[in-house]
Amino acid sequence: MVTVELYGLPRLRAGAERCELAPGRLRELLAALAAALPGLVPDILRDGGLSEHALLAVDGRDLLTDPEAQIPDGAVLVLISAQAGG
Amino acid sequence: MRSEARPDRPRAIACAIDHEIGREIGRMMGRVFGNFGQILLVDLDGDRVRAERQPLPESVYRECIGGVGLGAWLLLRFAPAGVDPLAPAAPILYVFSPLLGTPLTTTAKFALVCKSPLTGRICDGLSSSRFALAAKRLGVDAVVIRGALGQLSTLHLDEDPQRCRVAPCPELAGLSAAAVSDMFQRTGVASHVSAIGPAGEALVRYATVSNDGRHAGRGGAGAVLGAKKIKAITVRGEAVAGVADPAAVRARARDLAARSQGVSTDKYRRLGTASNLETFDRLRILPSRNFQAAAIGAARAKRLAPAGLASAGEHTRAGCAGCTIGCDHRYGGQRLEYETQFALGPLCGVDDPARLLAAARACDELGLDTISAGGSLAFAMECCERGLLDWPLRFGDDLVPWLARIARRDGPGDLLAEGTRRAAELIGGGSAAFACHVKGLELPGYEPRAMQTLALGLCVASRGADHNRSGAYQADLRPGVDRYHADPARAPALVIETEDHATLLDSLILCKFLRGAVPEPWREGAELLRMVTGLPFDEASLRRAVATIAGLRHAFNLREGWTLAEDQLPGRFHDEPVRDADAAVDAPPIDRASLAAQVLAYHRARGRGPDGEATDPS
Repeated sequence: MVTVELYGLPRLRAGAERCELAPGRLRELLAALAAALPGLVPDILRDGGLSEHALLAVDGRDLLTDPEAQIPDGAVLVLISAQAGG
Repeated sequence: MRSEARPDRPRAIACAIDHEIGREIGRMMGRVFGNFGQILLVDLDGDRVRAERQPLPESVYRECIGGVGLGAWLLLRFAPAGVDPLAPAAPILYVFSPLLGTPLTTTAKFALVCKSPLTGRICDGLSSSRFALAAKRLGVDAVVIRGALGQLSTLHLDEDPQRCRVAPCPELAGLSAAAVSDMFQRTGVASHVSAIGPAGEALVRYATVSNDGRHAGRGGAGAVLGAKKIKAITVRGEAVAGVADPAAVRARARDLAARSQGVSTDKYRRLGTASNLETFDRLRILPSRNFQAAAIGAARAKRLAPAGLASAGEHTRAGCAGCTIGCDHRYGGQRLEYETQFALGPLCGVDDPARLLAAARACDELGLDTISAGGSLAFAMECCERGLLDWPLRFGDDLVPWLARIARRDGPGDLLAEGTRRAAELIGGGSAAFACHVKGLELPGYEPRAMQTLALGLCVASRGADHNRSGAYQADLRPGVDRYHADPARAPALVIETEDHATLLDSLILCKFLRGAVPEPWREGAELLRMVTGLPFDEASLRRAVATIAGLRHAFNLREGWTLAEDQLPGRFHDEPVRDADAAVDAPPIDRASLAAQVLAYHRARGRGPDGEATDPS
């Protein structure tokens, strides 16, 4: 399974801290995420992808953008607000 | 329970009427709207004050806009070259902006500009709220204060320069800025006050200036006021600058207010910046234990996150005057932003929310910059850990007694009141390598080894290691940017882009938390200035103005002794890897040669010579 951890605004919108999804391509994962946590649509997830208000990082490191990227079993994705300032 | 901030509707209506009147007066006097075309020059000497108005040429408004831009222009002219920041001749400037006083949301801010006693370089802080609105009604675009008084006093500034006066106030010595403000309000002395706390009186090099519970925090402007023996400043005036196109301003104010309620500000409104901490821990960019690690682990992060803070004190929410965002989140009555949370929490090894809130409260009451206070204490904690100091101070300790010692320069506090750079020079033993500052200003709450575009931004920022003048952290968290390895070909341009964006917002002045709701800041900034000032700003002229402001800041620093050698991070960031919460290596250190090359490339891109020498900005 792929674990998606939610922080900041995504957590607020989803009302959840994490979600388990089947591995697959990024676009498939995001579609499954939208179905599992509909509160993420449209501010965090929009038109099958990420909105400009959110970022997705593999284990909190590399930001994912390619919708065709293959997300393997056991991966941990971190979904955060795009606004970083403090 | 949460209390919600509401837009200030009656004030907006009164403001609109005032602007119609101001516009007519402005038209008759032939001046630029949104401004008054003059400054108030205040000279202090013993128990006397002399104040006079001085005109400013219209070109200054075209070239420097207002806020930090106008402040840089004025500082370069009024600060004598090489002046000691705490000497009477060193000026401190309250600088207003064209948008201040309009009904546009988040514009109730002013810039506080001086030569920093912490860095010896330009210091241009911003502060918000009702004091800003009241001060602009003095009918000037800036107040320049020089000289010094003989004893601790209140300085009253009046629209009529002949009515400016000082009143000795030895009874206020040692009081917090908030206590002075409350006392003045209760006794009818003044409604809005800019004041210093005990740290400013004691000339702590990172003392703040406070008004309405907000602080011009970084760089030690509070010590500059303290050196002048000014405990508090009050203002009285009725002047209104007016705007060139009141109907357009009113319409844009409604539009901006609506946009400020959108998803781009939700993080600030609903969660507050304190929600960063848990996220930054997960991204492993949360500095802890004096930058020895970049995470504290999920369980500890949760304790200091908003939900954990709320368990230590009731969560309420407020906002600045004239602001429709309302980002001010409080826990048990104590306002807490991410930078304070990081500096007095993980940076000092503190993971108890009650202990963190108590330290934040102490800094506010004493008048200490939370980042520099936390940075100085974390540095001292590591010195103690390594045996370089024999003080009873360890990571995780209660900070409150130590903050009190700093604010009064009591015992060990006297050394820490100097900031990490000077403290490291005195302690020696190789401590400079982990004295985490640039140009003497302690680092904000982002791990530069894991955000290497920000690392460059911190090196080159005009006031030192600074997240408000260089927002390059935003560049590191963009798709396509490798935050662990800055691209030397791209990083300088990314830093300049984020610096210029910040300068634009800080000169207009618009709150940075509105930036997500202003997706085309150059276009909209020019529109706002056209409708407020009547001057023919466009995107190109605005970009030229911002480049001029960058040049002015650099020219000031260069005149005061800046060299390329200052634009660097301490050794820790080049010699030690980033470690996670379990002390495992998470990322390599920053390549020294690569960062030095990027610094050179940055200055070259700014149009400067091989040693960073400035072209003439005038």
